[in-house]
Amino acid sequence: MILQVKNVSKQFGGLQALNDVSFELSEGRILGLIGPNGAGKTTLFNTINGVFAPTQGQIVFRGEDVTGQPAYNMARRGLARAHQVVRPLSDLTVHENVMVGACFGREGLGLRQAARRAEEALSRVGLIERAEQPAGSLNVAQKKRLEMARALAAQPYLILLDEVLAGLNPSEITAMMATIRAIREQGATIFMIEHVMQAIMSISDHIIVLDYGSLIASGPPQEVANNQKVIEAYLGDPRLTERLMAE
Amino acid sequence: MFAHLSASLVDGLLIGFVYGIAAMGLSLIWGVMRVINLAHGATMALGMFCIYGLFTKLGINPYLGVPLAALLALLFGFLIYGVALHRVMQSGYLYTLLATFAVNMIIIGVGTTLFTTSPRNVDFSLGSLQMGSEILLGTRLVAAVASVVITVALYLFLYFTRTGKAIRAVSNNRAAAELMGISSTQVLALSFGLGTMLAAVAGGLTATFFPFTILSGGAYQLKSFVICVLGGLGNPLGALFGGLILGALEGIVPVFMPVSWVPVVEFGLFVLVLVVRPTGLMGAK
Repeated sequence: MILQVKNVSKQFGGLQALNDVSFELSEGRILGLIGPNGAGKTTLFNTINGVFAPTQGQIVFRGEDVTGQPAYNMARRGLARAHQVVRPLSDLTVHENVMVGACFGREGLGLRQAARRAEEALSRVGLIERAEQPAGSLNVAQKKRLEMARALAAQPYLILLDEVLAGLNPSEITAMMATIRAIREQGATIFMIEHVMQAIMSISDHIIVLDYGSLIASGPPQEVANNQKVIEAYLGDPRLTERLMAE
Repeated sequence: MFAHLSASLVDGLLIGFVYGIAAMGLSLIWGVMRVINLAHGATMALGMFCIYGLFTKLGINPYLGVPLAALLALLFGFLIYGVALHRVMQSGYLYTLLATFAVNMIIIGVGTTLFTTSPRNVDFSLGSLQMGSEILLGTRLVAAVASVVITVALYLFLYFTRTGKAIRAVSNNRAAAELMGISSTQVLALSFGLGTMLAAVAGGLTATFFPFTILSGGAYQLKSFVICVLGGLGNPLGALFGGLILGALEGIVPVFMPVSWVPVVEFGLFVLVLVVRPTGLMGAK
């Protein structure tokens, strides 16, 4: 198991953002995380990569208890993340952005190796011709690719992808999906949040569903898609109209 | 008249390089940490006294004293960061500003007790260079050259080393840098140390040609703020450029009007730049 999340809860004041969430992720898989807006998906990512510690529970990464470890430490242990809200280092060039990922990621490369690694990662995501541009000048789709390249360059064991497809057009989505598959071929495990249902259903080996901070379903994509609770969480109670009509 | 003007312009520019170094420290601290360091001037004064002490008590050549003072200042900067700043870094500008102001008051208080406020000077000469009717002091030439070397070194460090990349990453976006594996605490402490080091070096170099007291730093700190605004805060090369402008003004203004007008012109320019081009002449962001 590369990642084990055991009974994790997170409270913000009176808000229960995560409620007793447990699951496991084995090496080389793609795990999809879905759920309605505000279900706690990004919060779950934040507790896993150390942005904040869970209120309760335990995170085990590659056999080690990493609960409450700071984010930079998690990055060095081989956990990379691409963000929903892209966060480039705007004044640095695209190439430098990715180099930072390689320099301070799992391997802690020196500058020369990091430069080479950055070039590889940029060609993989198709940004190599923009390498010398300031990162701030990229458009949204390109920034998402940059996030991916930065995560990749760190040579992580596990990558957390937070809505990397959101805001992309269909052809960009196809390209990004190919990139994600290529990353998996390379040996990294992937844990992704996605709202583009068709995409996540086709790419994931396994799906877990969060609603109001609790895990309500877990299983292969087809099974989850037909799960009654999941449909309710997304669409409300499908039989509600029937019942109202009957009265 | 012209010879006089050009000589005093050159003289001013030479000092401007040193102003630039001091401002660069302030600018680095602001750029990376978003901290307005009100202890900057006091640290400069400590640099002056450090060179003075090493020279008068131990007979150490000021130019050997400067690297020594730099090292001490780096450590002193770490200490200030750890004791006064680290815990209030998340609390906003006002808290960090007050924390550095407190450090400033402590340095000045202790310094006044130890050194009194009677002026000192480092009685050290490197001879001089005749230029027209004016004489350029060797110490100023060396200080200017040293400042250029330091600027280049800082630039190379920030742009071509791993640690430099980490500093620039944190300066750009602290949270994102943290997520990429950079411990921002280490980077912040280092940046403050480097900023403090630049202040002490500038102080040390200044001490070789101007008399000083423990209170002298205040004036230089104000100049540093003016320079940072001229050059654009958070931009080290801009700081050197701003330093040169200020130095040139200090050279030229006294040729045409009484010396007491120098600050009026400087701060007039400061206000003008803030009104017309608040991003600084070099315009960072």
